[in-house]
Amino acid sequence: MAGHLVRLKLALLRNGLRRSQWQQQVGLVLGALGGLPLAGGGFLLLALVPRAEPRFGLLLVEAVFLALFLGWLLFPLLSFGGDTSLDPARLVLLPLRPRQLMSGLFLAGCVGIAPLCTLVALAGGVVGFAPLGPGLVLAVAAVLVQFALCLVGSRALLTVLSRVLRSRRAKDLGIVLVSLTGIAISVTVQVGARMAARLERLDAETLRPLGRVIGWLPPGLAARALVDAGQGRLLAATAELAAAALAVLLLGWWWWRSLDRVLVTAEPPARVRARPAAGLVPRLVRRLLPTDQRGAVAAKELRYLARHPRLRVGWLTSGLFCLAGVVVVGLTDWDHPALVLTAVAVVFLITQNSLNQFGWDGPAYWANAVSGADPRGDLVGRNLAAMLVGLATSAMLAVALAAVTGGWLYVPVALCLAFGVLAMVLGVADVISVRFPYPVPEVTSNLWAVQGTGQGCLVGLAQTLALTVECVLLLPVAVLVAVGVAAWPPALAIACLVAVVAGLVVWRVGLGISARWLRDHQPELLVALSPRRAA
Amino acid sequence: MTAASPPTAERSPTALTVRGLRKAFGPKVAVAGIDLDIPHGCFFGLVGPNGAGKTTTLGMVTGLLRPDAGLVQVDGVEVWRDPPAAKRRIGVLPEDLRLFERLTGAELLTYNGLLRGMPPATVKERAGELLEVLGLAEAAGTLVVDYSHGMRKKIALAAALLHAPRVLFLDEPFEAIDPVSARTIRGLLERYTAGGATVVFSSHVMELVERLCDRVGIMHLGRLIAEGPTERVRAGRSLEDAFVELVGAGGTTPEELGWLGTSSA
Repeated sequence: MAGHLVRLKLALLRNGLRRSQWQQQVGLVLGALGGLPLAGGGFLLLALVPRAEPRFGLLLVEAVFLALFLGWLLFPLLSFGGDTSLDPARLVLLPLRPRQLMSGLFLAGCVGIAPLCTLVALAGGVVGFAPLGPGLVLAVAAVLVQFALCLVGSRALLTVLSRVLRSRRAKDLGIVLVSLTGIAISVTVQVGARMAARLERLDAETLRPLGRVIGWLPPGLAARALVDAGQGRLLAATAELAAAALAVLLLGWWWWRSLDRVLVTAEPPARVRARPAAGLVPRLVRRLLPTDQRGAVAAKELRYLARHPRLRVGWLTSGLFCLAGVVVVGLTDWDHPALVLTAVAVVFLITQNSLNQFGWDGPAYWANAVSGADPRGDLVGRNLAAMLVGLATSAMLAVALAAVTGGWLYVPVALCLAFGVLAMVLGVADVISVRFPYPVPEVTSNLWAVQGTGQGCLVGLAQTLALTVECVLLLPVAVLVAVGVAAWPPALAIACLVAVVAGLVVWRVGLGISARWLRDHQPELLVALSPRRAA
Repeated sequence: MTAASPPTAERSPTALTVRGLRKAFGPKVAVAGIDLDIPHGCFFGLVGPNGAGKTTTLGMVTGLLRPDAGLVQVDGVEVWRDPPAAKRRIGVLPEDLRLFERLTGAELLTYNGLLRGMPPATVKERAGELLEVLGLAEAAGTLVVDYSHGMRKKIALAAALLHAPRVLFLDEPFEAIDPVSARTIRGLLERYTAGGATVVFSSHVMELVERLCDRVGIMHLGRLIAEGPTERVRAGRSLEDAFVELVGAGGTTPEELGWLGTSSA
């Protein structure tokens, strides 16, 4: 049975590779190539550093073992929806006893890039610590016990949480967390580098209490067994190894109990949260939106912005970057009041999302197409939502930058420019959105999922062209702003006027062209937004 | 009638007229020339095996899929010459239920109503009644992405009915619907056609089509192989027998899969 499950895992990996397009296959290979250096880095860290820095040897091994354990607990939770071999409910109809299922799932868990990288990294510990003789056996055993801890702990937690993880809300949250993990890793690396610099000046005594706490956790016990075996304290190493092995057994028992329960308990009905009947239009903008087709479309766009996990990731990331920018400006001497105007550039970049305004509708666009409503109103609604979000973002960023730099006089200029720039971008974006649309799938398990329509390259070219056109159109405004900041301040007023007038003209022209085209081509847009038909 | 309902002064003799409708996807001909007249107030059932071209036909008559050739008139308005005017007269429940997943049920109805130019107060009143009648009142504040398949069907039906269209196109409306809701929907549609509106629906459930429809069309391989009053099409047999006879029976003989039922496990 275990063999079957291992083969199932291998078949899933192989078929996943076969189903994906060549770009995804290249991505997978690059992912593997990225994972192996990480494993190699872990290997070198465990193999070389403890010898070079004996003071921190134990603490380092404990920290690496704990990080690996936590990584194994966390990452499968986040990728649950993407890896079908992790979900015990998928196997519930097979005539299997929990013991058979456990051994199968355990061995299947040993197959893949992550287990391989973990084993490679842990092997560094054996190279770094193991002496020749009986200590070698204990060191190898400590590494294997640590590997089993990672695997069994991860599977046990997954099984316990499998029902919760299958819910749509958990998957949504997972998408947001996975995306923010990238930012968290980059921050950790930065902080880690500074900590390492401090560590050189630190006395080992300072970190001893921390090491003592980690040392009593199961991964810490395995780490202590490895280090003690390496230093010839075989009795202590044996005792620590036994304790860590006991932890593996306890986790295994927990896994077995949960698996037993999951396999025989009926699936509870999905618990869903009913939202208060606030109406389609968000309360905050109720007075700003018309109560017609345009208002309905704008309200739907704003609701999606708040509720779609991918869009949440977008504005969370943008918000964090803006905050980081403001903090950097605040902490450095680089605080010219005109920096407030960078809010306009940020909004320009954020609004590039509008180049595919129908993508989030996907095939649900049929509801708009069948309504018989004028596509012009539909486009105006989408533009209205983008304009509101863009103006709110630029206002917040400009005020924050003004608070840091003291450039309050630039705030109205920034808002005026932002309005003009947004209008200009939306004029171009309307044309691109109707002529080169692509669907953004409503897949809740994978942030990077794409639904191929076979037009990716063309869309990419069109969007690059659109960006170029926008830059050319904005060039006179940019020149006027530069003159205004550097030499002749009245040029800023002219820049505002030019931006607003030119923005409105470009928007009206773009809107007219795209609405006219859409009136005759709604079925074609619907086909482009429906991946199955377009394939 | 509210602002969303089309004027009925100049009424066409038929609710739906189709002439020479064709559609091919590459070499595969999905609809190979269809002629059809459906009178007002009719409950019309479109049946056929999987891949017969029913969904493609419904897509073309509702203005969602451009035909290669042919003419479609809804309530006297040519769908492909004046799409907005034709679309104002129809309501559609599509087969694949692709909805705005991140809106709640109530928000989805409001969105559809405002999109069709209905006054907000009318939208609110009708949406509340439809949610109540279809048993969705408690789930009105739940996101559509969290709805079951049956609930999605019902909210899509509510969206199709909201503007009281003259012709209603429903693709498999009773699939995954519980018996109590199905009965409610049947009653609702019967009352609706009694008021002069027309319902065109596709289904695989022959008993249902036989019971509900006063006219029926049988599609096979992209052609309408039989069409007319239900009594005439079934000609003394059950509709299922007539359907199987017209389409041609397939499937297994008793000798095949003889091992079924012999399991000793």
